[in-house]
Amino acid sequence: MLVYLAYAMSFVLAMMLQYGVFSRWMILSGSPDLVLLLIIALSLHQKNSRFWILVLIMGGVVGLVSALPFFLPMVVYMAVYLVSLSLKQRVWQTPLLGMFLLTFGATILAHFLSISVLFIQRIPFNFTEALVRVMLPSVFLNMFLAIPVHALVRELAVWLNPQGAQV
Amino acid sequence: MRNLFTPKNLRNLILVTVIAGVLILAISGYLTPIFSVSVSPLISAQSWISERYLAFSDFFGSPRDMATLREENTTLRNEVAQLQSEIIALQENLAQAEILYTLLDFARNNPEHEYEAATVIGREISPYLQYIIIDKGSNNGIRFGMPVVTQQGLVGRIDAVISDAARVQLITDAGSTVNVRLKTANVEGQVGGSITGEVSLDMVPIDAQVDVGEVILTSGLGGTYPPNIFVGQVFSMQSNQNALFQTGSVQPIVDFSVLSAVLVITNFEAVDIAPLVP
Repeated sequence: MLVYLAYAMSFVLAMMLQYGVFSRWMILSGSPDLVLLLIIALSLHQKNSRFWILVLIMGGVVGLVSALPFFLPMVVYMAVYLVSLSLKQRVWQTPLLGMFLLTFGATILAHFLSISVLFIQRIPFNFTEALVRVMLPSVFLNMFLAIPVHALVRELAVWLNPQGAQV
Repeated sequence: MRNLFTPKNLRNLILVTVIAGVLILAISGYLTPIFSVSVSPLISAQSWISERYLAFSDFFGSPRDMATLREENTTLRNEVAQLQSEIIALQENLAQAEILYTLLDFARNNPEHEYEAATVIGREISPYLQYIIIDKGSNNGIRFGMPVVTQQGLVGRIDAVISDAARVQLITDAGSTVNVRLKTANVEGQVGGSITGEVSLDMVPIDAQVDVGEVILTSGLGGTYPPNIFVGQVFSMQSNQNALFQTGSVQPIVDFSVLSAVLVITNFEAVDIAPLVP
């Protein structure tokens, strides 16, 4: 219970920081996604079988607050969770590598889904511009922030589960 | 009869007379030059002794004083840091107050509308969408579709509302379209956003003479925004002979990157023309 409470609190904190601070952190038109990074790091460090429920709730909350379609964050976060399960078994000795891989893949996925939604909604945009001015800077910023987020979540996991934490 | 003028009494009398004379001369100031000459070496000696004593005292007492001074220095540094943080806080409050005063001036100068001031508390998580979150919601009379402005000009419109917060779609968003009027050219067009936050002008008649710097105002067409709100200025225009309309880029009057407070026009109801669209 304490574990879920701590995860929920860290999610709320990440949401507040994302909307208040990190959304204004821009390179060209790209910005980092702290909530996505937190969910990636939590997925890599958690050991609870029902963590996917929390992931779905987090996706729902982001979907409600954001102007993105409701389902899109849920899809991305669930994909992150499912891939992390497989990744933990394959690259378990180097969780930071897993964090980088998942950050890169999840950011690309989230951006492609966002672009797809714009396309379906018939909102005109230039794909090259989206790639160069939004997606690539966002990937760079997410990769840059992945290290501190991973370190913080690892400390949180060690604090919550001193015996079985993955370090 | 005793002899009063004994040698002893005579010596005492002379001594008293001399002392009294010296005192009278000293009081009357006649002995000042003599005193100054005679006292000066004494003062010099006293000064020398005093200085040496103080130097001696400083030499042995300095470690204690240094510790005291360090403590005082630390305390003063802390006080300076605290005062500096207070100054920064006051400057921030002043900046906020200046913004609110400017908004108030704008509201007074445009009495045809009713306004609700709100603070920007967040920006959209997706970099493809240009939205902000404000700290006023349905409890403050905010409703879907209400226009949002600053003292400078148009910001956007309310896109979603909860009890104590609302989401505003900026005019820089790719899904935003504003019907506008070019003031000098007196022609109408449309201003739209993009995924990168740049604003463009479209649907301007091909034969219209539009100059760079032309002022762009809302036209009120479509019922989404009230007319005559400042949107921006024409930055550049492109026209193709085979095209039906001219296009251009727009410099918005509002700096969306530093948006901190906005006004919501609460007495304007956007017209829903969806049923008219085939």
